[in-house]
Amino acid sequence: MSQVVNDERAAQGSWGGHLAKSVSGLVARHSSSLLLFMVLCVVVGVGAFMIGDLHTASVQVEKMYAGSVQGLRRIGELQYEAQETRRSTLYALTTNDSNLQVEYADQSREADKLVADGIAQYLAEERAPREIEVGKRLQRDWAAYLKVRDEVLASILEGSPRSIKEAVDLDLSGGVPSFDRVRQDLEEVKRLYDEQATEQRTLVDASSRRSVIRLMGVLVFTLMFASASVWAIQRSKMQNAMRLAKLQMDFVASVSHELRTPLAVISASAQNIADGVVDERKQLAKYGSVIRHHSRQLTELVNQILLFASTHEGRNRYVVRPLQVQEVIGAVLKNTRELAEEAGFAVEEHVDAKLPPVMGDFSAVSQCLQNLVVNAVKYGGTNPKIAIRAFGGNGEAGEKEVHISVEDHGIGIDSTELEQIFEPFYRSPVVTAAQIHGTGLGLPLAKSIAEAMHGRISVVSKVGVGSRFTLHLPAGKVEQTETPEAQRVGQS
Amino acid sequence: MVAVLLLQARPYGAAGAKPATTPGGENLAIIVNQSNPIDDLSLKELRTVFLGERSHWPNGRRITLVMMDQGLVERNAALRDVCHMSETEFGRHFLQGLFTGEVFVSPKTLSTPTGVRKFVFNVPGAIGYVRASDVDETVKVIRINGHRVDDPEYPLRLEARATK
Repeated sequence: MSQVVNDERAAQGSWGGHLAKSVSGLVARHSSSLLLFMVLCVVVGVGAFMIGDLHTASVQVEKMYAGSVQGLRRIGELQYEAQETRRSTLYALTTNDSNLQVEYADQSREADKLVADGIAQYLAEERAPREIEVGKRLQRDWAAYLKVRDEVLASILEGSPRSIKEAVDLDLSGGVPSFDRVRQDLEEVKRLYDEQATEQRTLVDASSRRSVIRLMGVLVFTLMFASASVWAIQRSKMQNAMRLAKLQMDFVASVSHELRTPLAVISASAQNIADGVVDERKQLAKYGSVIRHHSRQLTELVNQILLFASTHEGRNRYVVRPLQVQEVIGAVLKNTRELAEEAGFAVEEHVDAKLPPVMGDFSAVSQCLQNLVVNAVKYGGTNPKIAIRAFGGNGEAGEKEVHISVEDHGIGIDSTELEQIFEPFYRSPVVTAAQIHGTGLGLPLAKSIAEAMHGRISVVSKVGVGSRFTLHLPAGKVEQTETPEAQRVGQS
Repeated sequence: MVAVLLLQARPYGAAGAKPATTPGGENLAIIVNQSNPIDDLSLKELRTVFLGERSHWPNGRRITLVMMDQGLVERNAALRDVCHMSETEFGRHFLQGLFTGEVFVSPKTLSTPTGVRKFVFNVPGAIGYVRASDVDETVKVIRINGHRVDDPEYPLRLEARATK
């Protein structure tokens, strides 16, 4: 015990232990919120994954369009313009009007320029060696055809019967085969684009299939995870509700027991007096003392329940003002002296000199400390010594605080129960088995009061060695005020 | 003798080149295909070409004369300064030549200088004429009697020279 108690400050300063404790406490209290947060994270992750997958598919389709589909369209245009070049040349044969023939020649030249530009553009783009080879062949064959076309056009434009015949002969012998070669080259380019498009379409199909499978998997996983989360949340809520119901049942049983015992004693004593069984003055005084003791016990119990109920429902209104710690401790010791003496406990008091005042409501802070002292007596075991100490310290954020500790050398608390002892109606199975009476409201009430005063309660304990509860209160305010939280609690 | 000026209006736009003019007015440019090796012709040689008395260029290409439509200033100038004939005489010359076999091909007729230029551009053996201001880089302008089209001594003018 001594080691644990002496190391309290060290333990509080130990990041690892404190953090682990805080995290486990947080997880226990906010399990539903954590689960929802995890579901949200998973949904966001799935959304990001889906967007990424869609983007990849979109890029592949865009690449296919830019590469093959657009290429095929361009080759289609080239084929059209090449035909237009030849068609316009041959149209010139159909008329004797030189003006019209010149127009056709012009059209043929415009179309051939578009073809030449298209071939140059095709070769300028990044190509596979096979594509470049076909492209260069197309360029050569197109130039060869144009050479024949120019001669044919010239002969047509000359317009004499002989030159017309020459034009036709030249076109048949040179124009037709050279244009056929161009047509074959264009078909070859088209076939290469087709192959490329087929290859890319296969890739896109495979990618789409992969995406669909992935998305299905992810959706199924998300659905299962969400279902499991909802189930876990519901289960957690149900368990909490059941636990609360059990605690309330235990509380009712405990309170009934606490009420029945003093009532039975009071009733029996009153019956004896009424029946005249007790007539001596000395005996009457003894009976009166018993009745008074048990009446006080009953009153204390009822007060405790009412105070917890009002605190829990937020009906209390605290007047926060600077309090002298010595005064508060004095009042607590006065109120608990009789109880301690009856139980045979000695209370050691030590208050540091020049301690600053604390900010709080006098009766609330007194009640809080009183509960801690009563618990120290109740669970103090066979070593009847209690120590109350007050000293200065710093809070978690470094702010000035006053620490008031109540230390016993009793049965102690198991580390697994340190969080639970502050929950309403909770009673340790150890103390229930040991027939130590209680309501499970003392510590929750003390905690509520401490928090309403902007403070907190910490505990260090070891089974069989003892416990030390410390009330941390903010120090140093001078003027009288009402705390915002107290106001909020009071108005809610 | 009072000078007679032909004031026929131009039915088409110029090609944008700076007109080669002499104090006497704008000149008539004789144009051939860029592939034609001929750079210079005498007026006499030009006349034989225009009247269909010469059939081939030195490079072996058939000569094809391209004229503009009847009544246009350029045609009138060519008939007057190159052929020294009237429209009727020119027509009769070709009709007779074709009939006797002395002339091989009758001239082609186009209605615009652009058409003439495009014809000459397309036909390697073509020769034609346009205003000096209608010339562009698609065709070659030849010298006549050693004179460039923008020389003051260049013999072919759009308008008739003043005579005393």
